[in-house]
Amino acid sequence: MRLRTPLALLGAAVLVLAGPPLLSSGDDSDSGTQIPGLRFMVPNTPGGGYDITARTAAKNAEDAGLTHNIEVFNLPGAGGTVGLSRLVSEHGNGKLAMSMGLGVVGAVRSNHAPKTLADTTPIARLTEEQDVVVVAKDSPYKTIDELIGAWKKDPGKIPVGGGSSPGGPDHLAPMLMAQAAGIAPKSVNYIPFDGGGELLASILGNKVGFGVSGVGEYLDQIKAGELRVLAVTGPERVDDLQEAPTLKESGYDVNFTNWRGIVAPPGLSEAQRNKLTRLFEELHDSSEWKKSMDQNGWDDAFLTGEKFGDFLDAQDERVVSVLKELGL
Amino acid sequence: MNALNSLMDGFGTALTPVNLLWAALGVLLGTAIGVLPGIGPAMAVALLLPVTYGLDPVAAFIMFAGIYYGAMFGGSTTSILLNTPGESAAVVAAMEGNPMAKAGRGAQALAAAAIGHFAGGMIGTTLLVALAPTVADLAVDIGAPDYFAIMVLAFIAVTSVLGSSRVRGLASLLIGLTIGLVGLDQMTGQQRLTFGSLQLADGVDVVIVAVGLFAIGEALWVAAHLRRGGAEPIPVGRPWLGRADVKRTWKSWLRGPFIGFPFGAIPAGGAEIPTFLSYVTEKRLSKHKDEWGKGAIEGVAGPESAASASAAGTLVSMLTLGLPTTAVAAVMLAAFQQYGIQPGPLLFEREPELVWGLIASLFVGMVLLLALNLPLAPVWAKLLRIPRPYLYAGIMFFAAVGAYAVGGEVVDLVILLVIGLIGFGMRRYGLPILPAVIGVILGPNAEQQLRRALQISDGSVSGLVDTPFSVTVYAVIALLLAWPLLKRLVVRGRSRTDA
Amino acid sequence: MTTPTGSSSAPDPAPDSAPDSTEGSGAGPTADSAPASPGGRRSWLREHSELGVCVLLLVLGVLVLTDALTMDVDITQRGPVGPKTVPVVVGIGLLVVAALLAVDVLRGGRGEAEGGEDVDLSEPADWRTVLLLSGIFLGAAVLIEPAGFPVAGALLFWGAAFALGSRRVDRDPLIAAVLSLFTYVLFDKLLGVPLPGGPLMGVL
Repeated sequence: MRLRTPLALLGAAVLVLAGPPLLSSGDDSDSGTQIPGLRFMVPNTPGGGYDITARTAAKNAEDAGLTHNIEVFNLPGAGGTVGLSRLVSEHGNGKLAMSMGLGVVGAVRSNHAPKTLADTTPIARLTEEQDVVVVAKDSPYKTIDELIGAWKKDPGKIPVGGGSSPGGPDHLAPMLMAQAAGIAPKSVNYIPFDGGGELLASILGNKVGFGVSGVGEYLDQIKAGELRVLAVTGPERVDDLQEAPTLKESGYDVNFTNWRGIVAPPGLSEAQRNKLTRLFEELHDSSEWKKSMDQNGWDDAFLTGEKFGDFLDAQDERVVSVLKELGL
Repeated sequence: MNALNSLMDGFGTALTPVNLLWAALGVLLGTAIGVLPGIGPAMAVALLLPVTYGLDPVAAFIMFAGIYYGAMFGGSTTSILLNTPGESAAVVAAMEGNPMAKAGRGAQALAAAAIGHFAGGMIGTTLLVALAPTVADLAVDIGAPDYFAIMVLAFIAVTSVLGSSRVRGLASLLIGLTIGLVGLDQMTGQQRLTFGSLQLADGVDVVIVAVGLFAIGEALWVAAHLRRGGAEPIPVGRPWLGRADVKRTWKSWLRGPFIGFPFGAIPAGGAEIPTFLSYVTEKRLSKHKDEWGKGAIEGVAGPESAASASAAGTLVSMLTLGLPTTAVAAVMLAAFQQYGIQPGPLLFEREPELVWGLIASLFVGMVLLLALNLPLAPVWAKLLRIPRPYLYAGIMFFAAVGAYAVGGEVVDLVILLVIGLIGFGMRRYGLPILPAVIGVILGPNAEQQLRRALQISDGSVSGLVDTPFSVTVYAVIALLLAWPLLKRLVVRGRSRTDA
Repeated sequence: MTTPTGSSSAPDPAPDSAPDSTEGSGAGPTADSAPASPGGRRSWLREHSELGVCVLLLVLGVLVLTDALTMDVDITQRGPVGPKTVPVVVGIGLLVVAALLAVDVLRGGRGEAEGGEDVDLSEPADWRTVLLLSGIFLGAAVLIEPAGFPVAGALLFWGAAFALGSRRVDRDPLIAAVLSLFTYVLFDKLLGVPLPGGPLMGVL
């Protein structure tokens, strides 16, 4: 008994302390694009947009042999700002990257988050997607002009449905539209829904006047004739929706595109940063990634390093100016 | 009949030996992972997504169906045995299931849950085959005022679970509603009761509340009053459902799906509210009211059946509208997209083999689930025979793993402990736990639908009653409220004539 | 044996099972600042310790109302219900219930402590164990990041088992270590849910 107790304690201590490091495989070499132990953080829940981007990127990078075993994990909360503050706290960690997008830029501002994207190391912008303005097939509005005409008359009577909380992309797009049409953004009756699914039901059932969401989300419903697309928000018409005019050509000066990209913790060395950037450059060139983009209906918007950083700053300014008008 | 033919073709696809193997593997993996703390079906499906990458789409989705149902059942297992629900749909199962397990009837509770899942899944999937297009059209017409009316009904139903002391039940409900308020306001993004903390911005997860109040609260309460010395291990009892059990529960199994399925199919339905409504209904209809709260088997059978049918309902709107109504559906939608398949109005025409194969494999998965898990129920139930200190230490350990694994945040553990201490205090002063959990579930939902309805009507209160559905629900509520009064009048009238 | 016996250990009529329950609300310090003058007063307070719950509900109600009323709402509100409405209703509800409960307690109403198979209400409450368990849980939460999950998890399990009366010092640590390490491997290695490995990660 007397001997067994210290032995048990010793055994337990050895197990819990030495077990984990001995069990982790040290098989990866740290060369080329290989980053052993690389992890992708997803700042929203499984199934969400950033989640799909991160998991697709991780799988494609593995399939293309760029690096093994990228671990994808979710840290949802407050529109991505919980994940962001964790990322910023991992100063100098070159084995962590976070998928993010315009929604995080908005959430940082509308939540008054203490850490902003300026505190991160921008790596790459990957994809972009326009928003569409849609109504149900039996809606009285046949064209964007009819809709905006009615909207101008009584903004309160035409509720706008979007798939993101205030500050998110589906909220910003109708606000910019209102601005361009001469409607005070404050009078817009915006109703946030939990993602595109619940919103779709409300549009189909004519509960909201019109809906704003990503193109990819409703492509099928539009093709099946359940939804009518009145306009797209980007600079050019969308390949799959040639019939839908842009807002700009309809006379409303809006140029809005949602995008997704990757940022890394602050304080990376030159080498760490180059390595991550190179991984995404090679991923971008791989046939696997091209195929995935095709399947998901994402548009290529590859942009790296400094340029992506400048782009982030510009987006931030735009979000701030819109939210300021709303008094948020 | 066209659907029937297609379904037969689907069975042809699902019943090939290879696909049958994938289905069985899915059920096993799903159950094994669903049992783990902190991993609900959505997480399980997301984690196992990579496993299916190498398969062709049909095999992958057949395996998925197995994982989904398996994970749901696994979640109920921990709920019943350890009082630690792994996801919100399994919260109600702990209510009667855990007392049953403590009384040595764990195997029966698990069997009632397994058969409930089987019955709910079978009936739900049958309804899916028969009604998919119709239900999908109707679901779209349900809007915010209708949801709010249902929430009002649910709040009325809460009064039946307030317990013997109304004021203490109300206190518990209000504690739940207060916890539900924490977080960013869904409509405007205002911070409420977050005290500037980002970690609180998304509110406190229902599962954390349930695990804190049930598991941690109970562990602490037991610690304060542990029966010293003569603690016998929990008896295992008979492994199977007796005839009396079946007699009590068969109606519950059959009723559950008709509550669960419609809720699954509507866009903001989910499984929490139908499981709760099923619980309340069973309690109302039960002939053994004295057993409620101490392990009434109907309270496991009905809600579990409703949960499973609600999962089938979820698939209706996902397959026909491309509309993910739950987190699991969202993950499955993502999986469809990985294969370049877009669920939606065109899916049935474009990919008939896949869809009908998937539906057929839902039936197959259900049979496998029952065949695999019914014999295992007594084995699982033996888990409770381990000595008390290890049992409660294990419950605390698993609760902590669950809370931490989800987000990797230490704050979640602290929140869990605080809620556990609240649960302890509630036990000491006789505040029932159930209303608090219901408050956390219903409160935020009801508020969101109320405000959404008012926004749609641009602030006019008439917007709450401008649909036939909502008017009907309010009429039902009025009738329910007036019923005791009417009954008294009738009785009084009768006694007067008698005298 | 097979019949449910959940009700058999229900508390007998007068089990005031928590003599030192002035600190008994469990969710924070409450009415323990009562003057300890004559013994009669003390026992009165002990008898009515449930008033602490009323105080807590009151505090909670005030907190919710303050939070709601200090919220600045800039966004245009449509209709009668804004972000403040529901908190205000809940806050008032809390105050009302606190008052009703106080009346009930003063009239002699008592919340019945929950019974159960493992619960012995005839013995006085064992506060040391509760504090010990809470402390262990909190300690594990603090240790999890610096010391890693296996260490924190093992200490949590062993500590909790110890607090609950298991004294097998030669066996429990090993059980705890194996359970914790097994969980770590299952989550971190097999499922890809990351858990911190501990200080020796990357050293060995």
